[in-house]
Amino acid sequence: MNINFPPLVALLLFPGGAFLLFSGLVFEYIDRKLVARFQNRYGPRWFQPLADVVKLLAKEEIIPTGVVKSLFVALPVIALTAALTSALYVPLFGFKPVFSFQGDLIVTLYLLSMMTLCIGLAGANTEDRFSLIGATRALTQLFSYEAPFLLALLGPAIALHTWNIGEINAGAGNGLWFIIAQPIGFVVALVGLMGKLELPPFDAPEAETEIVAGAFTEYSGRGFAIFKIGRDVELVIGLTLVASFYLGGFNSPLDFLWKTLLLLFVTAALQSMFARLRIDQTVGMWWRVGVLMVLLQLVVIIIGQQFAPVVQPALQSLFGG
Amino acid sequence: MTIGSMFGDIFKSLFKKPSTEQYPFVKTEAPENLRGKLVWDPEKCTGCMLCIKDCPSNGIELLVVDKVNKKFVMRYNIDRCTFCAQCVESCRFGCIEMSDEMWELASIKKEPFEVFYGRDEDIQFLLDNAAKGETEAPC
Amino acid sequence: MEPKTAPEKFIVPIGPQHPALKEPGHFEFTVEGEVVTNATARLGFVHRGMEKGAENRTWIQDLYLMERVCGICSHVHALAFALGVEKLAGVQAPPRAQAIRELVSELERIHSHLLWLGVAAHEGGFDTLFMFSWRDRETVMDLLETISGNRVNYSANVLGGVKIDISEKQADAIRKGMDFLEERTKHYLKVVTEDETFLGRTRNIGVMTFEQADFLGAIGPTGRASGVKRDVRVDSPYTAYNDFPVKLVTHTHGDLEARFIVRIQELYESYRLVRELVDKMPTGDLTVRVPRRIPEGEVISRVEAPRGELLYFLKSNGSDTPERVKVRTPSLCNWSSVLVTAVGHNLADMPMILAGIDPCFSCNDRIVTVNRKTDSTQMDWEDLRQYGIEYYK
Repeated sequence: MNINFPPLVALLLFPGGAFLLFSGLVFEYIDRKLVARFQNRYGPRWFQPLADVVKLLAKEEIIPTGVVKSLFVALPVIALTAALTSALYVPLFGFKPVFSFQGDLIVTLYLLSMMTLCIGLAGANTEDRFSLIGATRALTQLFSYEAPFLLALLGPAIALHTWNIGEINAGAGNGLWFIIAQPIGFVVALVGLMGKLELPPFDAPEAETEIVAGAFTEYSGRGFAIFKIGRDVELVIGLTLVASFYLGGFNSPLDFLWKTLLLLFVTAALQSMFARLRIDQTVGMWWRVGVLMVLLQLVVIIIGQQFAPVVQPALQSLFGG
Repeated sequence: MTIGSMFGDIFKSLFKKPSTEQYPFVKTEAPENLRGKLVWDPEKCTGCMLCIKDCPSNGIELLVVDKVNKKFVMRYNIDRCTFCAQCVESCRFGCIEMSDEMWELASIKKEPFEVFYGRDEDIQFLLDNAAKGETEAPC
Repeated sequence: MEPKTAPEKFIVPIGPQHPALKEPGHFEFTVEGEVVTNATARLGFVHRGMEKGAENRTWIQDLYLMERVCGICSHVHALAFALGVEKLAGVQAPPRAQAIRELVSELERIHSHLLWLGVAAHEGGFDTLFMFSWRDRETVMDLLETISGNRVNYSANVLGGVKIDISEKQADAIRKGMDFLEERTKHYLKVVTEDETFLGRTRNIGVMTFEQADFLGAIGPTGRASGVKRDVRVDSPYTAYNDFPVKLVTHTHGDLEARFIVRIQELYESYRLVRELVDKMPTGDLTVRVPRRIPEGEVISRVEAPRGELLYFLKSNGSDTPERVKVRTPSLCNWSSVLVTAVGHNLADMPMILAGIDPCFSCNDRIVTVNRKTDSTQMDWEDLRQYGIEYYK
């Protein structure tokens, strides 16, 4: 759908800004509810994520001793800003991206990584030992999933000869969906997204039974709320990216809704099926399995593209096409 | 060696009603043997005080109105009771029983937790005495 | 008192308040990166003075005080106490009472092991297994509530017998519950022995060899997972374990996976026993008379709690109150095994290793008086206060 909103409206109200924040909360609710249902319990009521955020925003923010105060306050804001900025380049809710240029895929991915970097910095900023370990783990995990995730999203980009998210979104619907053409890439992208969002089983950076809340241990009140919203926004954007790349892109809000919710359903099921991976297991899994698989697929794509002009006529003549 | 061996469970529970009990809204019946609020029968009591002696939490008191005529009143403090039913075992005359009521023990006042058992006139007599400021005769 | 460590060491404190611990205890893990190089424990946060309290109450009142030593294995504590008192008084409970005692302790073992399965899975981040095993545990909790009238402190024992009787209707409910639980437990055994991600967290983690377990005095399922063939139910049968014997379950690997397997196989054994007990329940009286004044003497009474051997030492001076009650709970014996096996593992494995012994903190917290030969460490209130001020300075 190619509706052009006035830039200010697009930024502050719809589809970016306030609406995005709310949809982040809604997605979080659906995720929690699904996990709860998978575990045979009721789960939260519909307003729970919103109530959490409102409560946290209303609370006093305790700034612990020994931190760089300005950094402590600024980091959550930077994280949220980065997540919101990346929303400008993705086809949110099935609408055309507000801004787009050749190569915005890379910019978006880096903006999405800002979140993890901010979490890592936030943890390293405090003197708390749980935060420090959480920060170390968050950054370790960043280095493990980032490369495979990036490579997995590059698959469709290379196949379509464009590095523009909007164009990939438009092109993904033509012909075979990439989930069938590049199944390995899809799996890696989806699992990489879970790693990025630190969802179970990749929640080692904030494993509550080991290090309390990881890097967020010292955060309370506003800072924690903003981090939380940022995480939710990233969930929406991440799902949008994977769905638009691998599930044939979207043309309408309805298209967007069922595709992202389907992905959310799958991630919720994956979340409730596994035990938490240790950080060394996570790194090992990504570098031993994830990267190799994606590289293999990239090689196949590139070879396919190089030889397609050669092979195709040959095949056609062979099968009498 | 499998991955996701709980898949069957999570898939099935999608179509199942959650097993959480919606307690304050939906109340289940108390099981028949539930050890709930104590019930004391004044007619059979001989005032041997074994139940008071054995109570691990000093939850019951026997107030003597007239020892010769075997007139007693039992003051039962539900908030102290641990519902162990030792008094039921100790009583040789079978005048103490545990009912299956009153297991939702939450209140903002102390009064509902103090229960008097006995003949009405004895209780009235004791309460009147207490109101007059006379000291009770706890055992 | 406190272990002095060089300042450059990175110590991760777990507890007294920590999400991994459901009860207060304090552990300090010295880590290098993620690897633990040293571990120390400090207990005693929930000391409740129960042994002393028992001396001021009558034998009958103590039965209920002792039942509250542990919230999970309440029955075995009362059972150990009651057995000891009965031995002192020279009476024996009738066969039906003994069988009911065994039935309740096996049901309690089922509930305790299912609870542990859930807790251990939760520590490993496997919340789905946690939710499901606790959901199924509700079955046995309801059964216990039906037969005894309370979900936690069953109070099945009196001195000289039991209070509760099993009716045919209750027996049917128990049989049905056991069938359901056995089916579910089979599934859980499959999950913990076959699920790849879960095995990654349990296999070869926290390995304790037989020699170590023997040396450290590990008991209960923790020791049996390392091949220590010790079980009070087998070695010196109490209550009805002579007529309804239990098979010893051991494993040789000694890692967390072995502990899962041993506990789950003990569950099977308990299901079998419960069925057998319900089917062949002896008939007869439920209680015998026990005098109020217990004859002078000392006795040691041992029972197998879900966590291992539970030991009671009772001393009577011939009055209606005990002179000394000493409780040694199984968790106390297993702590050293945690501290030894923790070294060399990842920090991420610590909660699981801690949970692996099925710790029960408030039962094992007690005051230790160190008796040096020359100077006595007896303190009066003022000394104790001063000591406290100095300690926390």
